[in-house]
Amino acid sequence: MKVNGLGPIDIAISGMRAQGKSMELISSNVANAQTTDNGEGEPYRRVEATFKTDGDGIGGVSIDDVATDMTDFERIFKPGHVNADEQGYLAMPNVSVPEEMINLNTAVRSYKANAAVLKRYQSMMETTIELLR
Amino acid sequence: MINMNPNVSSVLPNTTIGGAAQKSAGSNSNFVDTIKNAQSQLGKVDDLQKASDVSIKDLLSGKSEDITSVVSAVAKADMSFKLLVGVRNKLVEAYKETMNMPL
Repeated sequence: MKVNGLGPIDIAISGMRAQGKSMELISSNVANAQTTDNGEGEPYRRVEATFKTDGDGIGGVSIDDVATDMTDFERIFKPGHVNADEQGYLAMPNVSVPEEMINLNTAVRSYKANAAVLKRYQSMMETTIELLR
Repeated sequence: MINMNPNVSSVLPNTTIGGAAQKSAGSNSNFVDTIKNAQSQLGKVDDLQKASDVSIKDLLSGKSEDITSVVSAVAKADMSFKLLVGVRNKLVEAYKETMNMPL
């Protein structure tokens, strides 16, 4: 089997990049957890990244799509609000901050895991090169 | 792309150092060919070095904000350079050993 020496580096980096991007989306969700107007008269809808493998089966990961969460908005009674409807109900974004915190943890751990793979692979290759001495 | 296959003979085909490759039937290669093979890899290593240099400069000058690509370029350049240095040291060692052989 042919070992492509730089393959694992690219794969680990793609994982780090994908998790970085997903962290961007999580931060957007958290920042907009109270946004009742997304510019189009609707509350903010939470977004989530979907990942896809590069190549067929084995390879790095890339962000396939940024999916919008279409679950219903939570409606709270807040008659004084500018964005409230006639009945005084205000639609809040479908972002649940605790859930985003869990996603954030997952993204951070996954990022670290990819960085660990990169580090380990480097030390593995160094071991191999050490054999030359 | 640099082949980092642990089997060094793929980087230096028909290498004559170490004697292990002596078995390869009809090997007409010599030390000079080995050096030339190493030289052809030199360009690739240099390309990776330059790529890492460019990515660092891009990051520092604000042209790019992707730090992971810098990490990737530097990791590749570092690894290939270490392999190159390892092979070079081995070659020099073999040369010296040959030159110091009492005749």
